[in-house]
Amino acid sequence: MSNRQLKISVFRYNPNLPDDKPRMQEYQLEEQQGMTLFVALNKIREELDPSLMFDFVCRAAICGSCAMMINGKPRLACKTLTKDLPSEITLMPLPVFKLVGDLAVDTGTWFRDLQVRTEAWVHTDKEFDSQALEDRMDNETALAIYEPERCIECGCCVASCVTANIREDFIGAAGINRVARFMVDPRDKRSDAQYFEVVGNEDGTFGCVGLMACDDSCPIQVPLESQLAWVRRKMALAGLKL
Amino acid sequence: MESAKTLQKALIRANPKTDLYVDLAEAATGISLVAFLWIHMLFVGTILFGKQIFDLLAESLDKYYLAHIGIPAVIVIFLVHIFVAGRRAPWRLSDMQTTWRHARMIAHTDTWIWVGQVVTALIIVIMGSIHVWSVMYEWPITAAKSALRVDSGYLWFYVLLLLAGEYHAGFGLYRICVKWGLISNRRTAGWVLKVITVAIVAIGLGALYMFKKFGGAL
Repeated sequence: MSNRQLKISVFRYNPNLPDDKPRMQEYQLEEQQGMTLFVALNKIREELDPSLMFDFVCRAAICGSCAMMINGKPRLACKTLTKDLPSEITLMPLPVFKLVGDLAVDTGTWFRDLQVRTEAWVHTDKEFDSQALEDRMDNETALAIYEPERCIECGCCVASCVTANIREDFIGAAGINRVARFMVDPRDKRSDAQYFEVVGNEDGTFGCVGLMACDDSCPIQVPLESQLAWVRRKMALAGLKL
Repeated sequence: MESAKTLQKALIRANPKTDLYVDLAEAATGISLVAFLWIHMLFVGTILFGKQIFDLLAESLDKYYLAHIGIPAVIVIFLVHIFVAGRRAPWRLSDMQTTWRHARMIAHTDTWIWVGQVVTALIIVIMGSIHVWSVMYEWPITAAKSALRVDSGYLWFYVLLLLAGEYHAGFGLYRICVKWGLISNRRTAGWVLKVITVAIVAIGLGALYMFKKFGGAL
């Protein structure tokens, strides 16, 4: 049986070139066994077009760099097998994030801004002692922290969200989930009122319309639906008590 | 939290609970309107058991002052809901373009359902207002008057309003359940609400059929 010929249509645009215009460019290549889109893109860059820009680091769905719109859906290129796709594939960069060029976007600046705005670090007045043993934590709490902490910040949830697409300041599922991680952490001494100040608004939990594209798009299945609802309920109660 | 960078942001921060109240108002008015709509449709559905029962119920609405309190309350809740839920819709042209393009691109069911919620909202605002006006104008409600109205060209008006209303109510309640986590699984919530919606639409269509039949015989 001969291998399929793939037609890969890629969004091409370099915003740094003053005369460049957005366009779609088609590449044809032969499908290989076990081929991921990450492999296909590297093959295109090595054999067909060295100017093609896209991001990747780990190839193992850990770094979150290679997220892109694959036939309209936000997915990780390294985790997407070409055999699960039709032979005509359309690739676009993630929306919302700043375009670097072609399929490459700058998620870093967006997430850095998110960390600063949500103060995504453990707030404590406890003096750090590098010699002391870490405080013990029960397994249930540790798992409750670990679940949202699994987020690889690939940006798929943000890209899939209509609200994030039309409201620049909305922190998206990644942001709300990030804050949820600190809410369950006993080491973080912030009060509910302080958390309310951070996410109890339209840019945070109350800006979510509940379309759940985030939950359906997360490549590592962080339970965003329940995380978002939990934060919303918690913040509503906190707000009413203020 | 980062400090407010503009006057407007600083002033918004001065009332930090506004967004919470508006969000709660959206859910509260939404749930109230769904409850009203479903009860309303069950009341209208009494026509399936005959004109006498329908008229008896319509009379009791007046007799026990249910209409006097209920109608103004529903109108106020309706207006508040337009205001607080309407803020979610993409009103700027560029937002509409982005929403439409995005919904087409990601081909995601729940996102399309929401686009449908925005469209049905517009239908309900216009047709619901006409409906309230035309019923109030001929107050009190009787089976004969309703039958005449349905028979005099309002049939398709009501079919469309029924479908738009029940779609918006069913998926609106689904959305509230999902956002607040009222039901643990959104597939279950969707399934339950679809069954209820289909039942209510069936009652509505049955009632319209009866009105059309009575209207033709008048």
